[in-house]
Amino acid sequence: MAVSKTTLKTLFGVYGVIHRQTLLLPSTLRCSVILSSRSIYERDYRRPGQPPDTRWPWQKIQFDFSKGVEGIKKHIGLLKDEFVQRWTGPEGRPLIDHMLEQTRVQWEFRGPESLSQWVVSSDQEIGGRSEAYIKLGKNNTTCMLYGTLCSTPPRDGETRYSGYCTLRSKQPLASFDRKKYYDWSSFNTLHMRIRGDGRPWMVNMSAETFFSHQRDDIYSYFLYTRGGPYWQDVKIPFSKFFLSSRGRIQDDQHVLWLDKVSMAFSSPRTLSSN
Amino acid sequence: MNPYRRATLLCSVGLGTTLTFASSHWLLAWMGLEINTLAITPLMAQHHHPRAVEATTKYFLTQATAAAMILFASTTNAWMTGEWSINDLSNPIASTMFMAALALKIGLAPMHFWMPEVLQGLDLLTGLILSTWQKLAPLALIIQTAQTIDPLLLTLLGISSTLVGGWGGLNQTQLRKILAYSSIAHMGWMIIVIQYAPQLTLIALGTYIIMTSAAFLTLKMSLTTKISTLATTWSKSPILTSTTALVLLSLGGLPPLTGFMPKWLILQELTKQDLPIIATAMALTALISLYFYLRLLYAMTLTISPNMINSTTPWRTQTTQTSLPLALFTTAALGLLPMAPAILMLTT
Repeated sequence: MAVSKTTLKTLFGVYGVIHRQTLLLPSTLRCSVILSSRSIYERDYRRPGQPPDTRWPWQKIQFDFSKGVEGIKKHIGLLKDEFVQRWTGPEGRPLIDHMLEQTRVQWEFRGPESLSQWVVSSDQEIGGRSEAYIKLGKNNTTCMLYGTLCSTPPRDGETRYSGYCTLRSKQPLASFDRKKYYDWSSFNTLHMRIRGDGRPWMVNMSAETFFSHQRDDIYSYFLYTRGGPYWQDVKIPFSKFFLSSRGRIQDDQHVLWLDKVSMAFSSPRTLSSN
Repeated sequence: MNPYRRATLLCSVGLGTTLTFASSHWLLAWMGLEINTLAITPLMAQHHHPRAVEATTKYFLTQATAAAMILFASTTNAWMTGEWSINDLSNPIASTMFMAALALKIGLAPMHFWMPEVLQGLDLLTGLILSTWQKLAPLALIIQTAQTIDPLLLTLLGISSTLVGGWGGLNQTQLRKILAYSSIAHMGWMIIVIQYAPQLTLIALGTYIIMTSAAFLTLKMSLTTKISTLATTWSKSPILTSTTALVLLSLGGLPPLTGFMPKWLILQELTKQDLPIIATAMALTALISLYFYLRLLYAMTLTISPNMINSTTPWRTQTTQTSLPLALFTTAALGLLPMAPAILMLTT
């Protein structure tokens, strides 16, 4: 059986080659096939099951003059602030603040504009059926992440497991959309005040992701919620976070360096093994 | 790391620099620079930490680009003039390209952007090698070819380096980044005077190496990498705190410490060459650097950082680090100014 399967496969492979070669014979078609094929290291995300985006770069341009003018004003304003902040001290605050601070409130939900610092996504990105939304809670002092988690994998022929929702903080940006990083080197614990529904969550943080070597490096730790009516204060030391890359926990573990943290997000894991 | 491997790599780093010193042919000089780069790459990445690997990658890419530009400049010069000798760099395009490549190698502004990131990702000893030893070979090449390079380019590189070194270091709380910007500023001082008096460049380089080594070894002894932990060194080692304060003032260029020597001699030479505006600009930009050295000094010696314990001297075991190099470099960084005439005689 196996031998016949492999012969079938090789036959298919040969057929595929022959088929492709017939495409390549006419010279015009040949040019378009060669020039529009993309390498496997393309940057843009390809949703599993979808064909790759083979448009030329100029076909992807969306030009808008007024947006451009607003953008220039905003970025030059940010650049001016960066220059002026240097007179005051690191990150725009005097050094004595930096040396004396023991805690810093990084994110708090006070008003609708605080929701814009977060991005919610679910496995609808890959074709699943989970839904997740955030809204402000009572008195505009809390944020509620709600939705449905569906672990049916999408039928795209590639994905085997599915079912996740993610709340991610947006990458802070300096002027001209340069990445800015949080400097948490004065601290050693992540303190969150949450009230969950009993599900286990995972808190993930990522550091510098400049090169492709570290693009998928994420430091994670678990967050077990109680599900009760009371709020939970969770304190996770940064030294507990373990390093994983593309979801695989690394053998060579290293502690998270806190001088360049770029984003933190949390996602629930379903415990069933579909 | 395996001690044999570390020894081999350190010897290769030394070999690369020495090869560049000893060469009069462009290809041999380039080869020395490449050996240097390749040998220090495993030393930088020895801890396998993602940040160390990222710093190594950034360093390797910039240095490889600079080496490729040097090779291209030397082959252009050989094509145009038929000369491979380092002293015969007569083609203006080749000499400008060469200067840009070497500026990238040593981290002169505006090719300095890799320096703070790379130093931040390394441990202190490797950072020390990067700031001191790795500058020797490129500076040797610059000194040999300075006469053929456009004076305006050298002046611009010098002034922009001191400006960027001062301005960039203002906002930092990580000590390695501060030392990176200090390195950029000092390189600026070395380059500005190279066309008039190369011996002053050598003096500036020598004093810079002594002061930076003292600074890095101090940080290694007290195991601090940021200002907030630097502020607790007073309780670990009061003597080290006081000498480090003086080393920082020496880096800032204040008399009667060693760091004043190069700055004074360079300003004197610039004035003699009838360039008072450039001299004034250099002196003013040095003030910006002095500000962040003083800020470190303030944090370390003039404030008592909040400790969570009641006693003033926390318990600390005796350190097993060797303190002799630190003692030597600190003494040299503080007391060499009266020997200025002797040092001038040595270098001329």
